[in-house]
Amino acid sequence: MTQAVGVKRAEERVALAALFVSFLKVSLLGFGGGLVWARRVVVDQQRWLDDHEFAEILTLCQLMPGPNIVGITLCVGSRLRGPIGAIAAVAGFILIPWTVGLALGGVCLRYAHLAVLQNILGGLSAAAAGLMIATGIRLLLPHRSRRTALLFAALAFAGMALTKLPLLFVLLGLAPASIAVAGIASARAP
Amino acid sequence: MNNSSASVALAAHLALLSSISFGGFPSVLPDVHNFVAANGWVTDKEFANFFAVSQVMPGPNMILMMSLIGLKLGGVPGAIASALATFGPPCVMYYTAFRLWDRFRDMPWQRIARRGLAPLTIGLVIAGGYVMARAADTGWPSVVVTAAAVGLMLATRLSPLWILIAGGAAGGLGLL
Repeated sequence: MTQAVGVKRAEERVALAALFVSFLKVSLLGFGGGLVWARRVVVDQQRWLDDHEFAEILTLCQLMPGPNIVGITLCVGSRLRGPIGAIAAVAGFILIPWTVGLALGGVCLRYAHLAVLQNILGGLSAAAAGLMIATGIRLLLPHRSRRTALLFAALAFAGMALTKLPLLFVLLGLAPASIAVAGIASARAP
Repeated sequence: MNNSSASVALAAHLALLSSISFGGFPSVLPDVHNFVAANGWVTDKEFANFFAVSQVMPGPNMILMMSLIGLKLGGVPGAIASALATFGPPCVMYYTAFRLWDRFRDMPWQRIARRGLAPLTIGLVIAGGYVMARAADTGWPSVVVTAAAVGLMLATRLSPLWILIAGGAAGGLGLL
């Protein structure tokens, strides 16, 4: 596989600029779910990877901490052009949107004391909180038949939202137990 | 605590959190909220404002939100430090893991670890939403907006952008 990729690379090296621009596009379009756009650009439009390779990268990134979409960006860049490709892709994803966002956001927050703006921001953040809760519920649905999964989701929620414990404690406390239970369940399954 | 040491402390804390942010950065929001609130750096209202602004911008929302907190504490250098702390450590891990990927791709423990971690990260994401809803809570109308956003997102295929715009409009019209 490494060899095949090597051949592909020698035949048609993906330009670093193309990586930068493509992930800039994913970043700017990826409003409310960058994953959809990442797949569309990488698999459908540029044909850099097939669905199988993309799913493999996604799985890896979901297993790791951090913003998954940045991980996907980094892995695709690295797959196509090595370390320098990873840097080009991540820079494309972050640099321009971050600079613009910080400038606009900074200006906007300077006027946050204005009543109208304060009201708008209040409404926005109430709605955005709802979107986040809904995203969590949607992610939970595929697990609804596993009672232990629901239990651990509830414990993680309670540990974080209700007790104000540091995340590190919550994860260190719950992760070993949750993984052990998943291990036992999968050992029992045929 | 002066500004630069506050930004350094924030960046150090964010670097730790980003290293354990399984399921993405929304899962660490409650911890960030506790941290900055306990230090008296950011009020609930400001935290909700940062969240709102970062959510309406395209691009890497959570990196932007952490940078806005950094911007408040230590100006542009603080913003850059927060951004790097948010995506730097995970990037190193992603890169290392991607290199090692072929070696452990078929190991069964990987699937088990994922099955075990998934419910936790989901619970944490919902906790993030809950904590943000509490920070934005100015009375029952804002709770209604949050609940409506949950319902619309789950029951319809409406773009999240429209739901955010509707929430902002409701606020702008003075309904909240």
